[in-house]
Amino acid sequence: MRLRPWPSIAVALAAAVVALLVYGLVNQGPSRALDNAIAKHVYLRAPDAKQTLPVLDHIDATSASLTRWRGKIVVLNFWAQWCSTCVDEAPLMERTQHALLASGAGTVVGVDFKDISSYARDFIASHGLSYPNVRDGDGSFAAAYGTDALPETFVLDRRMRVVAISRGEIPGESWLAQAIAFAKRV
Amino acid sequence: MSRRALVPLLAAAALCTAPAVAAAATPKTTLHAIEVQVMCVTCQIPLEVAESPAADQERQYIQTLIDKGETAAQIKRALVADFGTAVLALPPDKGFNVLFYILPIAFVLAGLLVAAILLPRWRRNRRPPPPPNDAGSANNITEAEAARLEQDLRLHDP
Repeated sequence: MRLRPWPSIAVALAAAVVALLVYGLVNQGPSRALDNAIAKHVYLRAPDAKQTLPVLDHIDATSASLTRWRGKIVVLNFWAQWCSTCVDEAPLMERTQHALLASGAGTVVGVDFKDISSYARDFIASHGLSYPNVRDGDGSFAAAYGTDALPETFVLDRRMRVVAISRGEIPGESWLAQAIAFAKRV
Repeated sequence: MSRRALVPLLAAAALCTAPAVAAAATPKTTLHAIEVQVMCVTCQIPLEVAESPAADQERQYIQTLIDKGETAAQIKRALVADFGTAVLALPPDKGFNVLFYILPIAFVLAGLLVAAILLPRWRRNRRPPPPPNDAGSANNITEAEAARLEQDLRLHDP
């Protein structure tokens, strides 16, 4: 009896398409690798630390990467002009920047997420933000941190390892102070 | 220069610059025309249907550019400069993106070709079986049965 290959091929192709769809759905969510590592007291290197991003303000260059601040504590804050919680958080970030500068321990680095660049510059000026800000126009840098909602804040130690994460608004000024203190210790 | 001499000069200057100013302020496209061509980059859905603060910001920016008299192409270029090509609802037909336009046509053509090859074969394989023999036909009885039938008919024949 001669076997007909076409039905088998059609079924295999259909199964492959379904498998691809399932894979896409399962892997659609943001990565939580950093969060899971911190829960196990494992501190991973900051993702995409070498990726250069366009500078918005307060850096004497047109583009910069995180490696610029190696050896310092970095409070990496993802924000956007249209995000009302980010507006609420901006004064805390500014106070933190003053404290970090005064102690010489590090800096806040703002990452403007998928924003109109002129609006982002207006935001920096209108809120009197003195810390450096870079721009993640296509969201690829944020994606490496599993960021899909704003604001999100990551505290990096001097070795550029992520030691604390706040997804959403920072729970309070004390949380950030403790996270920075921890980053200094580890 | 006297004031009298200045007046015609100023009037002429105003006349020369007026069309340019008017052209710059004349909208060359509409918000809806752009909305259907671009994505809300944060929500990752077409801007036309997006409802979010980010989408509102994008619309506001587009409206600002429209008010400045920029064309649809100029506005899309400005958006691409800020967000990359992901902001476009349809990718530009350059480089690898050409596949996006070619593949669907290629798939349809391949499907038609496969159908053109396979359909005649399937039709040949599904030829109707020969019609069943008519059970009542006299051709189907044996000679003995025919003889017996003839005999019976003769018996009943008056």
